[in-house]
Amino acid sequence: MLEHALFWVLAVLAAAAGVMVFRFDSMARATYALLTSLLCAGGVVMLLGLDYLGVVILLMMTVEMALMAVFMVMYMMNPAGLMPMSMLHNTKGAAVLCGAVFAALAAGILLAPWPARRGRPPADPTHDLGMSLMGPHMLTMMTLGMALFATIVGTVVLATRRGRYDRFGDDLKARRPDDPVPGGGRR
Amino acid sequence: MDLRDRLRRAALSRPGVMLVALPGATPVRLELEAELRRRGWPRSESPAAADLLVVAGERDPIGEDSWLDGIWEGVPKPAVRLAVRHPGDAAAALDTGHRLLREDAGTRHDLAPAVPPSGGESAAGRNGRPGGGRGERTDDGAGGHHDDGGDQDDRGGHNDHGGHSDGQGDPDGQGGGQESGHGDSGGGDGDGDGGHGGGHSSHETHEMSGPAGLPMAERAEDRDGLTLDRLHLPLGPALPDWPAGLILRLVLQGDVVQRAGTETLPVRRRKDPFWDEPWLRAARGETVPRAEAARRRCAAHLDSLGRFLAVAGWDDPAARARRLRDGALSAEPGDRLREDVVSLARRVARSRALRLLTAGLGPLPAAEARAAGVSGPAHTAGGDAYDRLLVWLDELGRAAGQFGDERPLARDDRTGPRGTLDGAAPPSRGLLDVLPGLLSGAEFAGARIVVASLDPDLDELTAADRREAAGV
Amino acid sequence: MSETAPLWAAAVLPFALLALAAVTAGCGAAVSAAAERGPAGSARELTSRAAAPLREALRLLVQQPRTTTAADGALRRAGVALLPTAAVLAGAVLPLGFRSVTDPGVGIVWFNAMEVLAWAAVWLTGWGPNSALSLTGGYRFLAQGLAYELPHMLAITTAALGAESLRVGEVVARQEGLWFALWMPAAFAVYLLSAVAMAFWGPFGHPLGRDAAGGAAAELGGPARLVLLGGRWTLLVVAAGFAVPLFLGGGHGPLLPGWLWTLLKTAAVLAVLLAVRRALPAVRMERYTEFAWTVLVPLTLLQALAVAVVVLNR
Repeated sequence: MLEHALFWVLAVLAAAAGVMVFRFDSMARATYALLTSLLCAGGVVMLLGLDYLGVVILLMMTVEMALMAVFMVMYMMNPAGLMPMSMLHNTKGAAVLCGAVFAALAAGILLAPWPARRGRPPADPTHDLGMSLMGPHMLTMMTLGMALFATIVGTVVLATRRGRYDRFGDDLKARRPDDPVPGGGRR
Repeated sequence: MDLRDRLRRAALSRPGVMLVALPGATPVRLELEAELRRRGWPRSESPAAADLLVVAGERDPIGEDSWLDGIWEGVPKPAVRLAVRHPGDAAAALDTGHRLLREDAGTRHDLAPAVPPSGGESAAGRNGRPGGGRGERTDDGAGGHHDDGGDQDDRGGHNDHGGHSDGQGDPDGQGGGQESGHGDSGGGDGDGDGGHGGGHSSHETHEMSGPAGLPMAERAEDRDGLTLDRLHLPLGPALPDWPAGLILRLVLQGDVVQRAGTETLPVRRRKDPFWDEPWLRAARGETVPRAEAARRRCAAHLDSLGRFLAVAGWDDPAARARRLRDGALSAEPGDRLREDVVSLARRVARSRALRLLTAGLGPLPAAEARAAGVSGPAHTAGGDAYDRLLVWLDELGRAAGQFGDERPLARDDRTGPRGTLDGAAPPSRGLLDVLPGLLSGAEFAGARIVVASLDPDLDELTAADRREAAGV
Repeated sequence: MSETAPLWAAAVLPFALLALAAVTAGCGAAVSAAAERGPAGSARELTSRAAAPLREALRLLVQQPRTTTAADGALRRAGVALLPTAAVLAGAVLPLGFRSVTDPGVGIVWFNAMEVLAWAAVWLTGWGPNSALSLTGGYRFLAQGLAYELPHMLAITTAALGAESLRVGEVVARQEGLWFALWMPAAFAVYLLSAVAMAFWGPFGHPLGRDAAGGAAAELGGPARLVLLGGRWTLLVVAAGFAVPLFLGGGHGPLLPGWLWTLLKTAAVLAVLLAVRRALPAVRMERYTEFAWTVLVPLTLLQALAVAVVVLNR
């Protein structure tokens, strides 16, 4: 009973916050409405008994939205998002796309022949999740992780204008890097 | 009801104080700081959490200091504003303010109302309720009892931008469209800012269409060649640990200062600049014992040191430096004081963390310093903020060694705490001139540390003509 | 081994944390006052100094709230309220002795998720009032989060690795013979650093720094300020308290009952943090981030590797 009530509260909140993302005209408000929606979704995942996944959703999404704020400062140095701005782009196309995806998913839910449950839910879903990710697919996951990491490092290196020759001189002999604002690493 | 009353009195047993020092009122500021410390009243960094707004110095007779009213608007009830003009008045004025605060939780007493500019209207309603108390000299003026009713205090100058409310952001999601008909606001924004920001009513007033009629950020290239928003932010004259009377007009992108310009409030002072007094008096032929000059130099550097450490976020030695500063200015016996000063200097000099955190900020080579007319510690250091700090510590130790020296100061000894006092311009003039160059490219916090490491004393700015008048 | 406390504990928890926070703040105030006004002359004077935070709380309660022009009040209020909420929710998995309000199987991840909410809280508090100085404080905490969070996550993961469980009760149980702090010193040290950084307090108090006139709290007066600062002290107590089950053996100890050991160890950690605050200036992130990423991250990774090797050979 309590679980049902919780589910409906979280579900309605998630949907309402999701709608508000498109109604707000301030970047900060839209961002945090989206975060609210995602936190509620994480709560729903926890209700399903997948504690680890749910909590990780809370963690990751909060950090992600906090990082968004860095870009807010870059593009909107005016605090409090005083400047009303439309958060909508490509409205018609997006509406068509969203409608189609929603219809397809809903149809899938209603029409799929769901199998009856076999066996019991595991005592520790976190452990099972880890086993299924890291057991037979260990090599895949490791490769994927390294590839993602290399991609991130590569894009950052390509995006910065200054390379190590700018920082340490043409012969890379400088004791201290020549940075606009010195970091604290080398003294 | 009675309980609520008692609770309120207990709550206001030690009111929060925001102290704003006007240039030329150094002795008053020192006396107030010492008095507040004796009472253990908490100090507020911003008007938001203050109950008492204490102005050290005299308000401008022609009403040019409307920025003070901006701060006053920002103090929530219960609130009392008072001005202290003479060092001897500090305790009595604070008592008066305290009494008024405890009378009524909804109080807003202005005991230092603005002087109406000629042809303008007064900022505060004056219904002439006398606000003076016992022992107040003439600080009370007409205690305008003004209620501003709402909780909307206008704190402009915060660069919110106005903006077009047509809800059409640009497609790539960049807010802050400056192309909407506002030109470059040229740095002159800030109308009566809530006190941290710049004071002057703006010279160029823009017609702002945005909410609250405030200037907007615009876009410009940053140091990586990206076009990002940039903000005009006036700093001062009422920031904590800030040289009294200095206003910096910063152009910020994110946390990086792109440009900085200095302005100063008009200095109103009847006597020599406080920190340079012994040397100027000796130059006029008076007999000044070296011990007195040493104590004054020591106190001046301890004051600068306290400010530097507070800005660097090291509260413990900052508080110690201020306590010792007051000791050096009082008649405390020299031996004990010398030990304390030397041990404090040693503790600060030994801190590796402080070195790692402040080295490399605001480098000023000796040659550049000399060319700009900087003498004194900043020239001696010939390096970054940390080097300047070390020179202070060095001079502190040396000055502490002369606490017992009763010989008179030589007439041609003109080495004041901030530099030579016989140059064409006062030492702080040079410090102010090098400041903008040192600030561009620094991060906000680094900029604060650079300002604190130079610590210009604006009281000196009118000293040049005074010395001529004295026939030096 | 560990068990869940009765239901009323959940109601008591916020008040218990607040009381601890008030005591800690009182000790901090006494230490600061000693620097400011010299050593206390009498016990009465010392008590009066230690009561300063309580007086300040009372003062802020009677002060009228205020807003700024064109502020985003909703976001500011959300930010201010979120901070103590996050601190209390993180405290729910904090065991007193061997019992916590709740001991979920992923308690460590839960703790981490709740303290990350503080990022959002401080940022919103800084952004909301529409003031450049509080915005500065807000984004300072974002930069700080980016600097401390990775080493911090790796440090608490190391403790979980040593216990082979994400359940806090299990981590405590595994330290019956030997505290983790003794054979994971690097992880413990990094955790202490990040506990201070998490609560943006002391040397890591730059987001509320004096140089920005109070930073994220610059425009806060009255009850809102009280909630934010109280939330910060509570977060500090929770972060320091969590070092006890993770690294200092929780309630394990001779003679005394478990809850008392927990309290004593928490008090010891807090005393160390107060001493650190006295000894260090504010750490600015443009100087710290490089250190965090190039020294602390590899260090904690090596620490995790060492622990993993030990665990595999058990």
